[in-house]
Amino acid sequence: MTTIADTRRRRGRVVARNTAVGWSFLLPNFAGFVILTMVPVVLLFYYAFTEWDVFGGATWTGLDNFRQMARDTSFWTALRNTLYYAAFHIPLTLGVSLGLALLLNRRLRGVAFFRTVAFFPYITSIVAIAQIWNMLFSPGFGPVNEVLRWIGVDHPPGWTTSADASMPAVIVVGTWRYMGYYMLLFLAGLQTIPAQLYEAALVDGASAWQRFRAVTLPGLRHTTFFITVLLTIESFKVLDLILVMTDGGPGQSTLVLSQYIFQKGFEENQFGYASAVSVVLFAICFLVTVVQFVVNKRRSA
Amino acid sequence: MKRSLAALTALLLALSASACSGDDPEESGPVTLTLAGWSLATTPEFKTLADGFRAAHPDIAVELKEYDASNYDTQMIADLAAGKAPDIYVQKNLKNFYTYQNGKQLLDVSDVAGKLGAGVGGLSSYQVDGKTWAIPYRQDSWVLFYNKALFDKAGVEHPDGSWTWDDYGTVARELTTKLKAAGDKALGAYQHTWQSTSQGFALAQTAGADLQSGDFGFLKPYYEKALALQAAGAQVSFGDATTNSLTYQAQFGKQSAAMMPMGTWYIATLLSQQAKGDADTFEWGIAPAPQATKSTTGTSATPVTFADPTGLGINPKISERKIEAAKSFLAYAASADAAKALAGIGVTPADTATAADTIFTLKGAPTDDLSKFTFTRHDTKPENPVSKYTAPLQNILKDLHTAVLSGSKPIDAAITEAQDRAKNEVLSK
Repeated sequence: MTTIADTRRRRGRVVARNTAVGWSFLLPNFAGFVILTMVPVVLLFYYAFTEWDVFGGATWTGLDNFRQMARDTSFWTALRNTLYYAAFHIPLTLGVSLGLALLLNRRLRGVAFFRTVAFFPYITSIVAIAQIWNMLFSPGFGPVNEVLRWIGVDHPPGWTTSADASMPAVIVVGTWRYMGYYMLLFLAGLQTIPAQLYEAALVDGASAWQRFRAVTLPGLRHTTFFITVLLTIESFKVLDLILVMTDGGPGQSTLVLSQYIFQKGFEENQFGYASAVSVVLFAICFLVTVVQFVVNKRRSA
Repeated sequence: MKRSLAALTALLLALSASACSGDDPEESGPVTLTLAGWSLATTPEFKTLADGFRAAHPDIAVELKEYDASNYDTQMIADLAAGKAPDIYVQKNLKNFYTYQNGKQLLDVSDVAGKLGAGVGGLSSYQVDGKTWAIPYRQDSWVLFYNKALFDKAGVEHPDGSWTWDDYGTVARELTTKLKAAGDKALGAYQHTWQSTSQGFALAQTAGADLQSGDFGFLKPYYEKALALQAAGAQVSFGDATTNSLTYQAQFGKQSAAMMPMGTWYIATLLSQQAKGDADTFEWGIAPAPQATKSTTGTSATPVTFADPTGLGINPKISERKIEAAKSFLAYAASADAAKALAGIGVTPADTATAADTIFTLKGAPTDDLSKFTFTRHDTKPENPVSKYTAPLQNILKDLHTAVLSGSKPIDAAITEAQDRAKNEVLSK
């Protein structure tokens, strides 16, 4: 009897010690997360209901910020532009990176080289990317328009200097930049699909398209879901690319939500209002992600 | 294991404790003032002021604290809010002065202002409710830089101070054509991509123009003229300038343009770039900015132009015993001695009349009478008139600027949209 109690006590002590060790490993990161991320995020929800110019205390204004947002045409422009960017950037990047992954998932000569090339844009400094692409897109002397004129386009678009073409230009560069990263994730996903499935499909006489539809896509479902969530969040909070490529212009044609938040907060010192817009952006990201999870769960059920 | 856990906890506690302390109120000993500045390696004016002050007050030390030039206000606001800002900090332009003053981040320095010389420009912008909150030490003005060599090559007469914007446009076109005929690829003019290149002049030179009125019709003639010059090929188009990240220093310094409206801060840059070889060596001069009407042209009139003063303010969190020293630093920065010292490095001080003799003796500086007239005679209006609404209104007008000059929106439609936005997003609050 005593031995059993002893063992139990000892086991309890082992568990407690293991828990403590686990926490101590977590603590440095967790403490940083709480202090630098959690606390500011919680505060953000408070500031969203106040008027605050950084100096001194914030004044509680209730729903005023949200009422103002409803009337604020710039906010709606920014929201529209963000949705525009997301609506094209997500499917385009998904398609291109999957295509690249399929292409580079074979035994080719120099496949490592091509994979590296596709990954390059992702590790290049975004400022350099913006400078170079802006020069390529330059309406007067840019190579892009030189080529377009050469193949017979009389009035090539002004790209980053025209209100109609600036968003497509940014989307092209955004897709180009991120395709390598998601290609890598897709490649990893492709490696996990058992080769026997393809062999079986071949034996059944499935065409390449049928094999892609019936084996590859279902096999990649978890990867695709993961990438879609990442891409969605990344698209909704796009900032750096816009800031360095067009600075929201010309006019407000590429103004996105996160840039609007930056403008209101750090340029105009309306931190309460900026927090309120952040809360809306957070809500959008949260909602879209929840919907994606629900859809994914229903499909796998 | 237990001991190591305790050690880890102790380490974490020690780390967080050390992060929280570190305040040193320095209640005794010699006074050390801290002064904000930006890009100290390429902007010598802060050191010049500190050294000059030190020479007159050997018992007071001045320490410089460096900030990033393009994010100066954002960083300063963060530091002030955190209580970590230096004793004396610079008002880089007027756009954020309201934020600092209204946010109670400036000490009343009316007593310093009361003792200033009459020649100090830009002071009135810092006066709110009958009190002065900062002291200007620089007052730049926008002028017309021109390349004498390119004018001679084209066989066009140098500016004589009598120009309106129409004259400027005519000469820009003439220069472009004649330079082309002479085999030179330089264009007549360069207008930098900033919104101030059109809006600053429009606001300063149009009678009755007022940002806060929410009526932006005064911008129209200035944009029409800029667009016409682009269309005529007499200046680089806005789109080419932004996509290729053209710098005004290279456009004028490397002789790609014969004329360029720019602030007098460019004098120091041009002198040093010519000396170092970063810019070509050529003769240049400054002329008064072109005017809206003939009435303010000619050397018997005072040309109207714009630019914000640059001033020094005192952080109200400064310790009691340092206030007198800080005030004497402000007084020195606006004094004739400091004006001469600043002019010695090419900087335009707030007291331009005192500094003219110094700045034009610098190596490479122009020596003609019109340049001297331009430097000393000007009615310089603020680019950002101080108000609660200035920063958000300027952001709206920046969108108008890029939309119009890129050709994305006709000027009338852009003005209507900007007025609607101003009413809806800013002035109604």
